[in-house]
Amino acid sequence: MPGDLKVGGRQVKRMTADNLASRMARLQAAINLEEGDRVPVSLMMGATMPCRYKGISQGELYRNPAKGHRAVLEVFDELGGYDAAGAGANTSREENLLDAPMRIKVPGRDIPEHDPIQWEEAEVLTHEDYDKIIEHGWKDFMLEFYPHFRGWDPAEYTTRIETKAARDIKQQKEVMRVWEEKEIPVYQVSYVNTPLMMLSSCRSFVPFTMDLYRIPDKVEATMDAMIDDLIEISIKSVKVMGISLPTGIPAKSLVLERGGSFYYPLRIFERFEWPYTKKMVEAFIDEGIMPILHFDQDWTLNLPYLKELPRGKCICQFDSCTDIFKAKEILRDHMCIMGDVSPSLLSLGTPEEVEAYCKKLIDIIGEGGGFILGVGCSVPTNAKFENLKAMVDTAKNYQPTRAA
Amino acid sequence: MSQLADALASLDEDEVAKLVRAKIDASVDAMSILNECRSGMDIVGERYKSGEYFLSELVVSGEIFKESMKVIEPHLKVGKQADTLTKVVLGTVKGDIHNIGKDIVSVLLGAAGFEVYDLGVDVEPRLFVEKLVETEAPILGMSGLLTPSFESMKETVTAVEAAGLRDKVRVIVGGGVVTELVGKYVGADRFTSDGLKGVEMCKEFAKDLK
Repeated sequence: MPGDLKVGGRQVKRMTADNLASRMARLQAAINLEEGDRVPVSLMMGATMPCRYKGISQGELYRNPAKGHRAVLEVFDELGGYDAAGAGANTSREENLLDAPMRIKVPGRDIPEHDPIQWEEAEVLTHEDYDKIIEHGWKDFMLEFYPHFRGWDPAEYTTRIETKAARDIKQQKEVMRVWEEKEIPVYQVSYVNTPLMMLSSCRSFVPFTMDLYRIPDKVEATMDAMIDDLIEISIKSVKVMGISLPTGIPAKSLVLERGGSFYYPLRIFERFEWPYTKKMVEAFIDEGIMPILHFDQDWTLNLPYLKELPRGKCICQFDSCTDIFKAKEILRDHMCIMGDVSPSLLSLGTPEEVEAYCKKLIDIIGEGGGFILGVGCSVPTNAKFENLKAMVDTAKNYQPTRAA
Repeated sequence: MSQLADALASLDEDEVAKLVRAKIDASVDAMSILNECRSGMDIVGERYKSGEYFLSELVVSGEIFKESMKVIEPHLKVGKQADTLTKVVLGTVKGDIHNIGKDIVSVLLGAAGFEVYDLGVDVEPRLFVEKLVETEAPILGMSGLLTPSFESMKETVTAVEAAGLRDKVRVIVGGGVVTELVGKYVGADRFTSDGLKGVEMCKEFAKDLK
């Protein structure tokens, strides 16, 4: 019939009008390592680019996240829509126990009004804090440490964080409702750092690296004391949102930057990153939560380890630093790949260059299924609208010619 | 390879500290101790390039080198400190406070024998220019991780041009997301996302200047 087309040697049905079901089917096909009617496209659309594009300052975004969400929706509509969205992109990260306690530079307060928010790399945790984490676990350590770190009255901390959590949940549920109205699946709720990423962020990179070489046993004991708390909090944070099929997929992003081969040799990865990552991934899958492995920087040498994770249960998201083509060779028939239009291409390239790269990704990474076209990391603040449009349009319109 | 160079190349922090102290106590010429340390750093660099070592080993060796310099430097004869390849002005550009890559490059440049003027993070274009004028440094290294940093890099190159320094200064841009596209856009001479490659570029420039 005219609506059908041949992809990868198989007859598949072309969907004429997108709705929640068709988008979800496309997304699930990719996660299940199958070919859908076309490669899905999903932008990790935070609010910094939409606000810049809509003339809203980054300071205003910080002070009024709802404006940011409206800007995201406007840009979504102007792009003609894409296949899946994330909930919770505009919430403050400041009081989240899953986030590294880092000092932030707030636009309009600490940095110019139009600069995007930034996290300061500093030695927030000390050697003594390792002992405290080993003794108390991450959650109890943080409940004591965090108010002190922020300069809050400890007596008010629980109320403060609970109020914040209630506000975040309400806001995120509203975000999810809006996406549901638009018939867009929501597949991502929030992030969690692996123990290595957490400690590297709040000890800062150089001191933490020296710790790995000078006091490896203590670092390992600290991570052992953190992992169960991080998993427990993560699972709760997903479940509280009540996200489920057919409108969305409960998921959790694992932030993976500092533990990879760009920074460390495999013997460090094998001891300090991989066992904890694996434990988190397996625990999430057991709870029906899809792990999204959010890789920043170059993890090419670590890719073979990913085959130890359950097949067809995760998304691996690459930011353009890892060799995505090598990832396809290794993870083909094992794990869904998402990525990786680079920040430099999106902010400095032309629509023609973006289109050409997206076609290459669809041809090579999309071959045989298991691919979601996405941006490297998240949509950069300076991304050109026309480049994002080229990306979305290419996914929707380009059908690769493949041998039957 | 000397014992000291070998200890540094093997990242044996305690052994390096012991050997440096022993040599200073035995009144060995401080410059020759420094050169042994630099030889160790060169081996670390070679091992990094061959894939045997990773960024973390560059960092650890850099920290050991820095600690050694605290002991060696007071014993260097006056004038010997000027025994450098050339001067480099370095910083993370305006609007960006990411410092990891820039700090690593700063240490590696110092260990390689460059005189480094590290201006820190969130550096205004005019501050780069003022430091280039003041030091007459022939190399400018700019770092950035966020996409708005591309604009700041471009602004800085424009400011260097406006000051009439562009033909005297080689410009390198670096950072996790810096690509050829970025290098061209900002008008840099070279680009890299690899700190050690940045140091190698500075060495090439220093060689050209001789």
